[in-house]
Formats: sequence, C-alpha cells, structure tokens
Amino acid sequence: MTLTATYRLGTRLFWQDRALLLGSVLTPALIAIGLPLLMRHLRPGATGEATAQFQGTLAIILSITAFMNVAVALSARRDQLVLKRLRATTLTDGRILAGQIAATATQTVAVAVVCTVAVNLAAGVPYPANPLLYGAMVIAGSVVLATLGAAYTAAIPRAELAGAACMPVFLLSGIATGAMGPIRQALPSWVGAALDLLPTTAVVDAVRTGAVARPALLLAVWGVAGVVVIRFWFRWEPRRS
Amino acid sequence: MFMTAIRVEALRKNHGRFEAVKGISFEVAAGEVFALLGRNGAGKTTTVEVLAGFLRPDGGSVRVLGLDPSAERAEVRRRTGIMLQEAGFFPDLTVAATVDAWRGFTAAPRPRDEALELAGLAGRAGVRVRQLSGGEKRRLDLALALLGRPDVLFLDEPTTGMDPEGRAATWETVRELARRGTAVLLTTHYLEEAQRLASAMAIMDRGEIVASGGMAETLAARGGRVSFRLPAGVEAADLPLPVTVDGDEAVCRAEDPDLAAQTLLSWAAERGLRLPGLEVRAATLEDLFLDLPTSAR
Repeated sequence: MTLTATYRLGTRLFWQDRALLLGSVLTPALIAIGLPLLMRHLRPGATGEATAQFQGTLAIILSITAFMNVAVALSARRDQLVLKRLRATTLTDGRILAGQIAATATQTVAVAVVCTVAVNLAAGVPYPANPLLYGAMVIAGSVVLATLGAAYTAAIPRAELAGAACMPVFLLSGIATGAMGPIRQALPSWVGAALDLLPTTAVVDAVRTGAVARPALLLAVWGVAGVVVIRFWFRWEPRRS
Repeated sequence: MFMTAIRVEALRKNHGRFEAVKGISFEVAAGEVFALLGRNGAGKTTTVEVLAGFLRPDGGSVRVLGLDPSAERAEVRRRTGIMLQEAGFFPDLTVAATVDAWRGFTAAPRPRDEALELAGLAGRAGVRVRQLSGGEKRRLDLALALLGRPDVLFLDEPTTGMDPEGRAATWETVRELARRGTAVLLTTHYLEEAQRLASAMAIMDRGEIVASGGMAETLAARGGRVSFRLPAGVEAADLPLPVTVDGDEAVCRAEDPDLAAQTLLSWAAERGLRLPGLEVRAATLEDLFLDLPTSAR
C-alpha cells in the first residue's frame, strides 16, 4: 500500500512540475527525435544512420530522464528536509526510495516509448526488430539508472549542484554511444573500452546488436553497486557542517 | 491504570566526539504530557530523535510502547506521531493534497477533514503549502502527526511561529489528546506553554537532566514570590524578610508567599509606609529555570 502511495506521489510531483518536465522530458525527447530527423534531412535515404543515431540517444534519455531526474529530485528533498519528514511516517527507507525509483523509471520508459514512435513517424526509423528485448532493456536500464541516480546523491554536496554534478554522466553516456557524434573515435581505445562498461552503453548495445548476456550482466552489476551505495552512504538529511 | 508509554534509561548519544546526551533517564505515562526543557544544544532534540527512531543510542536503552524505536521502527511508527522541529513539505502541493499523500503512508488514517479540523486548518485545504505562514505550516505538521491516531506523540517546538490564537488552539488539541490517553513528549522554548500543558517535566543541560519531577509538585516545592518597589528611604536590610533587589524592585521568595506578603504589609503599616506594585504569586517554571545555574538555561 505504502509503496503504491510513494509511487503515486513521485509521479504526481513529476508531472505537475513544469520546470522539471522541460529539463527531463522535453529536452531529451527533442534530442532523441530531433537528431535522427536532422540526419534524415541531411542524408535522405540514410535510414540506417538515423536508426543508429536514435539508438544512441537512448543513452541520453536514460542519463537525463532517469539518472539526473532522480538525483536532482532526491537531493532537493534531502536538503529541504522532506525526506526526513517522509521517514517520520510508517514508510520504511526502502519504500521511500523504491517508490521514487519506480516512478522515475516509469517516466523514463514512457519517454522512450513516445520517442520510439515519434522517430518512426517523423524520420522513418523502423520499430525494433525484437520488441521484447527492446522493452526489457529499456525498462531494466531505466530502473538501474534511476537507482544509480539515487545512489549518486551521496556524492552531491548541495541540491543546487545536483544538475551540474550529473553533467559528466550525461556527457560520457552520450559520447559512449555516439549520440553526440563521432567523438569516441578520437579517444584512446582504452577509454572506449571503459565507456563500453557504462550501463547506458549496455542498453544501447543490446538494442543495436541483440546481445543479451553481457548487457544484462553489466546492468545487474551496476544495479547491485547502486543498491550497495544507497545502503551504506545514502544521506537522508543535509550535512550539518 | 498507569502504563509507561516511553521509558528512557541511562541514554547516551554522541555526535562524533561530542557527547550530546549523557546518561539521562525518565518515563512518560500514557495520557501524560511530559515537557523536556533546556537551552539550545542541551540535547532535547537528539533525545527526541533517538526516541523517534532516527538515531540509534550509543548507550542505555529507550522503549516506546515497549518497543525499540530503532530496531522496530515500522511498528513504533504505526503508533506514534512526530512533529519535528525542522522538516520540509512539498511546496507545490496543496494542504489537502499533502494530507491525502500522507494518508497513503498511514495505516487506518483519520479522514482528511478531521485531521485538518483538529489542527485548525479546515479553511486552508486548497492553499498551496508554499503560501502558508510559518504558524500554518506548524499546524499542517500537527495534522500529519495526528493522522494515525497515535498512542505517543512527539512534539518538538510545536507552536513556534504560531499566533496566540493558534497556540491556544494547539494547546487545547494536545490536552484533549492527552485526556484520551495519548502520551505526549513536548519540547519547547515557551516555558508558559510547558507549564500550562505538562504534568511532568525535566530540564536538560549539556546532555544531562538537572531538574525533574511532577510540574505541580516541583513548582509548589519552590514556594512563591512577593515583589514590590522599595519605598523611598527603605533599604533591603530594613525589611523583616530577606529580599533580593534589582533596581528599585525587591523580590522576596518564600514557601508561603501569602504569609510573607502579610508580614511585609504589617511591617509597612506599622511605619505608615506603602509597598507600591505589590504582587504575590506562586513560583512559575520561568522562576525555576532562572534559578538554575546559568549554564543550565
């Protein structure tokens, strides 16, 4: 009951916050739809490239709508002592965070689905060949990235720094999958190998290649790492000093 | 029937190397309002946060309704209400939406309107939280704390920022809850509030309890005071009873302030003097507080 209540509250707060919607829904959606569309206009007939571009921008959706969104929201609620108030209820710590993570993951999946349909209609990007794998990876990626966003708040000193603190994650995710152009090709090979270990890259690899085992393993490792960090280092209140 | 709702035994709690609470003990019975007093940094809020299960004790034991609040937090939460000294709200939710959300976190909650009525916010249901005054936010805090019909209520500075009307209404709500058996642990800077509401109290200083007992008994044991302005030409040493003098005001502390007043008035009448501004009153919590060593205030 209470998990549903936190899920509903997280969802409600998200959809009624216009600034949040602009930053964490509209911006990644415009990137995810706009870049493939631009590519189709620049190079008519290059459906494959537009498709690869869109698949790469899934990393941007995951890093903004899931990761950054939850990190910003939880940092703000921590600093405003809202998390402390929530802990004064019958909610357990796990339910408070699980409700928020589930709500954020749902929003991310919704954005990904809308973008998938939109790029199909606007840029002719074909629907996924394996919709089941596509759906499973987007859902798993959303949950893992939202969990990691919650864990990342342990490293965010103050709420006003949350957005800036998430930028490196957003940039690395975009570079790793080629969503930001061919930057990756100019980097040393060991950097590329490291970028391949990112959870966002794992989702995009699965979507592009149909691989299951390695992406699933990577996501599982990242998910466990996020839960461990939350368990030991998540801060429910701002630092006193 | 006397039933202990809160039991604190030799509680110790450190913040890093700082000893915030140094082995305090007290009990609060069902239906009792217990005031925990002391200056800022005395250890009151730390004590409340341990009792509420936010912090684990470093020594001693605490039990709320017979349960360990840190180990059995969920069960304790089901039967307690907490009004924290500092806690935030979702500013863009209305009062009604906030209460509705919190009802979702509460087992068998009060109806929204009943909670708002109890807290004196019935007419503010549609207002966004960010538009509430400080006192109204405290009332909303109270409404949330009362949603689960708690057996134990922790009130940390409950009326800060409230206007006199709101404060009086809150006092009446707390009294009514206590009459129905709720144990209330109150911390407050307002000594008048503590004296009016609480039937027992403890004063903390630097993590220790320096005075405690039943409110009425403790104050009765301190007697009372007679104050007046010294007549012209009269020295304190001339008076028949010992007094302290501050400016031109003389204060005589006595176990029986009525008898002391009679003695002073008879003495003055025999000399054709008046004792202007004469005031006789029983001891207040403020007197008790001010009589403590300076460090304890």
